[in-house]
Amino acid sequence: MSKATRKPKVDPITLSVVRGVLETTQREMTLALEKTARSSVFNLAHDYSTALFNARPEMILQGQDIPIHLGSLIPAMKSVAKFFEGDIHDGDLILHNDPAFGGSHAIDTCMYKPVFYHGKLVYWTVCKGHLTDIGGPVPAGYNPNAKDIYAECLRIPPVKIWDKGKPRNDVLNMIFTNMRARRDQEGDFNALIGACQVGERNLVAMLDKYGQKTVDICIDELLDMADRHMRGLIKTVPDGTYEGVAILEDAGHGFGDFEIKATVTIKKDACHIVIASPPQIPYFINSYEGNSHSGVYLGLMMFAALPPPYNEGLYRCVSVDFGPKGTICNAAEPAPHMNCTTTPMETLTDAVRLAFEKAMPSKVAASWGHANGLNVAGWDSRSNEEYVTMVLATIISGGGATPQQDGWHAVGPECCFGALTSGDVELLEYSYPIIIHKYSLMTDSGGAGKFRGGSGTAWEVEPLDREMLCIGFGEGRRIPAMGAAGAVSKDIDSKVGRVELKRSGKVELKRTNIMETIQPGDTVTNMNPGGGGYGNAYERPIDKVVWDVRNGLVSVKGAREDYGVVISETLEVDDAATQALRSVA
Amino acid sequence: MPARAQYRLGIDAGGTFTDFVVADRQSGDVRLFKALSTPSDPTKAIENGLQLIANDFGITPSDLVSNCDLCINGTTVGLNALITHRGGKTGLICTAGHEDSIEIRNGHKEDGFRYDPEYPAATMLVPRYLRKGVRERVISDGSIRTPMQEADVRAACELFLKEGVETVAISFVWSVINTAHEKRAAEIVREMMPDVILTVGSELYPQIREYTRTSTAVVNAYLAPVMRKYVQGIDGYFQSLGARQPVRYFQSNGGLAIGQAMTDRSVYAINSGPASAPQAGLYVCAPFKKNNVITVDMGGTSFDITLTKDGQTNLNKNIDFLRYRIGVPMIQVETLGAGGGSIGWIDSLGLIQVGPQSAGSEPGPACYGRGGAEPTTSDANLVLGYLNPDGLLGGKLPLDLDKARKAVKKVADPMGLSIERAAYGMYTIVNSNMVNGIRRVSVERGYDPRDFVLVGAGGATAAHITALAREMGIDTIILPKLASGLCAFGQIISDVKYNYMATAPLRLDNPVAYKRIDTLYRQLEKQGVAHLKTDGFKAGQIDVKRSIDMRYVGQVHECTVDIGSFAINAKSIGKVKEAFHARHEELYTYSERHNAVEAVNIESTLFGRIDKPKAPKLGKGATPAKALKGTRKAIFDASGKTTKTPIYDGGKLGAGAVIAGPAIIEEVTTTIVIEPGWVAKLDASGSYVITRQKR
Repeated sequence: MSKATRKPKVDPITLSVVRGVLETTQREMTLALEKTARSSVFNLAHDYSTALFNARPEMILQGQDIPIHLGSLIPAMKSVAKFFEGDIHDGDLILHNDPAFGGSHAIDTCMYKPVFYHGKLVYWTVCKGHLTDIGGPVPAGYNPNAKDIYAECLRIPPVKIWDKGKPRNDVLNMIFTNMRARRDQEGDFNALIGACQVGERNLVAMLDKYGQKTVDICIDELLDMADRHMRGLIKTVPDGTYEGVAILEDAGHGFGDFEIKATVTIKKDACHIVIASPPQIPYFINSYEGNSHSGVYLGLMMFAALPPPYNEGLYRCVSVDFGPKGTICNAAEPAPHMNCTTTPMETLTDAVRLAFEKAMPSKVAASWGHANGLNVAGWDSRSNEEYVTMVLATIISGGGATPQQDGWHAVGPECCFGALTSGDVELLEYSYPIIIHKYSLMTDSGGAGKFRGGSGTAWEVEPLDREMLCIGFGEGRRIPAMGAAGAVSKDIDSKVGRVELKRSGKVELKRTNIMETIQPGDTVTNMNPGGGGYGNAYERPIDKVVWDVRNGLVSVKGAREDYGVVISETLEVDDAATQALRSVA
Repeated sequence: MPARAQYRLGIDAGGTFTDFVVADRQSGDVRLFKALSTPSDPTKAIENGLQLIANDFGITPSDLVSNCDLCINGTTVGLNALITHRGGKTGLICTAGHEDSIEIRNGHKEDGFRYDPEYPAATMLVPRYLRKGVRERVISDGSIRTPMQEADVRAACELFLKEGVETVAISFVWSVINTAHEKRAAEIVREMMPDVILTVGSELYPQIREYTRTSTAVVNAYLAPVMRKYVQGIDGYFQSLGARQPVRYFQSNGGLAIGQAMTDRSVYAINSGPASAPQAGLYVCAPFKKNNVITVDMGGTSFDITLTKDGQTNLNKNIDFLRYRIGVPMIQVETLGAGGGSIGWIDSLGLIQVGPQSAGSEPGPACYGRGGAEPTTSDANLVLGYLNPDGLLGGKLPLDLDKARKAVKKVADPMGLSIERAAYGMYTIVNSNMVNGIRRVSVERGYDPRDFVLVGAGGATAAHITALAREMGIDTIILPKLASGLCAFGQIISDVKYNYMATAPLRLDNPVAYKRIDTLYRQLEKQGVAHLKTDGFKAGQIDVKRSIDMRYVGQVHECTVDIGSFAINAKSIGKVKEAFHARHEELYTYSERHNAVEAVNIESTLFGRIDKPKAPKLGKGATPAKALKGTRKAIFDASGKTTKTPIYDGGKLGAGAVIAGPAIIEEVTTTIVIEPGWVAKLDASGSYVITRQKR
């Protein structure tokens, strides 16, 4: 290095304080969203994310929120800032959801607030949240019959909803007019705006206290630290090229299964990732580039497993190539896309994860259960209002086993990685006219392995007094969550997702996306996949298998088929039979 | 028995020591005694301590106890049971289909561990096979959708009897709106399992949120057998000594309770001891008009941190504590494994670590000479010359320097360091662990520690306090002479405090709703006043604080607002709603004044006011020159080089004495290390004010 870099000296206490203020600010924004929102997707399920950007704009703090939101916020913020370049003012508030303009899926709507200090743009406070509805023909946005994006939703390109502090009520009215459940939507917009303002308040207080120069130096150092952290880790991976291929199953569209391939090239402390996916299809599982970034970053983090704080510095040493436009992972307008944050994203994440598993076989954990969930809609006679919501409780799947331990139960899906919450049963029943008959772990759903995958969940619901529309989406209904380090399950049926409809006493089992109406007295049960196992299931200690059987997490049959452990109904182990089974390699 | 009791006694059980504070109610004199804790039978330590005091006063334990107006106990029994998972064998009876809510835990993984492959799932207090569903269902309007199948409750009891379950929690969906099924199930359990301890969700925590209520009930049930055994032991012992009043126990809500309340509501006992630190911290800072206070308490095993901003300490509600969701209010305390007994070791990367493992009180640090051989923080401090080799507690606890050096050598040799340098390394590392903990409660929540005063509590803190302040950039330290027993002291200046809750999901737009809320408050307070009256309080000694959780119609989370104790009616409701709008605006930057407001939960906190002992006042004592005991070679930097350091007898020093570092002040129960660059001044209120020297 010839250039004499004169790095300004950072006082370590101030650096910690600035880091702490950024993290606290993000947490408080998140809290404001959760506490004030109207829709259960926000207030119970935490299907939102918040982040802070500097003026460049680089992401200076990524929260602990939904991984699948945060990667895409980086290109989205840059697109929005560029669109309004030269026309950004104090008191502006920008709304945006267009997936073809850096967004993720259109129902995840973003609010961007430029923060000014002494007349200069210094930061952006940003929130992204899954609204209850985004217009279009099908309540809650998931329209399996859509052949293009116009048949899915209202697309919102970057648009100012506040102009220099003045709300643009005409624009807001146009937007609300095109959405269902207006009252909820207005409340949720207030929540998003409030969260951005909470962020602004904290950041300005920090600048008042420490001065902008000092804070800037600290933030740059935090970005550099993240960069050093990731590079240090990539350096430990042997140089080379590694491939991961994952199968995207046909969720009912009829085009058959697809392959998504990730090719990871490691060269010293840098990492280049190339994604290959088939041409896009007229079905809502195409992903535009912004969203696909999130899937790649998540696969990378499943390998890196770095502790916080997270910011854009982490990805400086990572380059991604999604190939030509017009593919499932690099969609071109007007591809339909609404399911993209889960399908195909979790398959893309798996492909990246698999490539890293090849690079460092023992370090990488198993895949988590993919999202297989329900949206519901109908009329709430208690308040005489229409209701519509995605039920995030229905997508809570099992976590993948790791090289160190069993997977967590009920913590997925993979694209959310534990950041979602299912919501309290009483609060859900308070918000919607439903009765939740069951929310429980499912026997034999965790992938078999020396370390078992976590259990998926079953969610059974009945409408209170009127008919209810149920829209099922996702996948993982035929192919179970991938194990790692040689873990394979034999009993597949119990480990995959499915939907059970009980109508007038008749039971139907569905393994594809559905759109069905049920009546009071009928029920629908959504079952979510478990997580993948880690290592050879025959090496799982027998007492652990017995304990799982005792607790109903594994059946007597599952113990024999998946783990080679022969147990009676009274939990006595047949040692000879077990040894005989387990000795067969 | 004298007509008026002379003393008040506070006993705070920690992991290593049990502290005793005896306050003379007339003179304001406060004396502090310590006995080693006896975790296997905590009452033993109390017996030992009382004997110690009695010997010192030349009386019997019975004379002492019968001459106390109140005996107060803070205990870590509940906390330890939860940490070590040694509660009672527990069964859960719940709504069929919802057996897993405490294991699903809302489907969430804690923030900070998003990608951590080793972060384990929470250990279940009730394994899945002991969580039994009952076919029954109440729905959100309180009506019964499915009548309860009593046979299911009986089947659960049969299983529990077979499995030796000793404590049972019952928690049904929506029981908070309609208690009928829980009540009937409770009757059946009492009939079939007369010896079992029973926790009923809607009685313990009558608030909406099934998961929180069930989890709170489970934690309560799990701890109940442990707390019952403990309380029975203590109550019986003090009765036998002729106590004037039942023993009061300190709760994690920051107030006192009688034993029965601790058994029925064990979940309130969890963080008993450290929860008194904020009160004590504010009390010792009051003479200096400081109300931004960080109180740190380093004992033998753990390091507890509490933060008070503008005189207010956060009360947590509906939080995860030790990874279990608990609804009832608790003082926010950050705890880490750093204490005098924390063990130094070398990790796989070859770096020195200290803690979280602790030598506890058995065998204790190597220098105690009770069989401990691992190097602990106390051993390092002895090697560094901070602690007196003649022993602690005025020589009652002799220290063995050779054993300490031998232990520290275990980390020194593999690192190729001298024993002195290794000891300073251990000192630096344990300090850094504590600093990170202080950061978590201050910096990470957006508070700059430099705006706070640092108060030292606990026996081991004083040897580290100037180093901690140096690292945090804090300029002022308040170190009470009583530091070692500060939590026990905090307990004897506390009031009895009970929380009463009810659920009231009502829109605040009609007189029927106001009336209902008004009635509920009256009912809660009637119940509370009755409890306090049986506890000996007169009407004039009872205070009430009300809060109400409200939200805009359509929101599901609520915002707690404190309100005055006025009648709720059409006239006053405007005041209540305005308080909510204002709080919403303060927290979230906006309000929706045009939108309807609804109440969700209400709470009355009742205080039984207890007279405070007179504030201690320190007289004129010796000058520093007269209190000088001698000198010791002590180490203040990483080179391991020694400095001849004056040692003062804190017991002799009078108000106004000024001592500049480097210096060591020996109090009977604590040793204060003043690093170079700091000056201590003894204030008449009994605290050392230690400030950074200006350069």
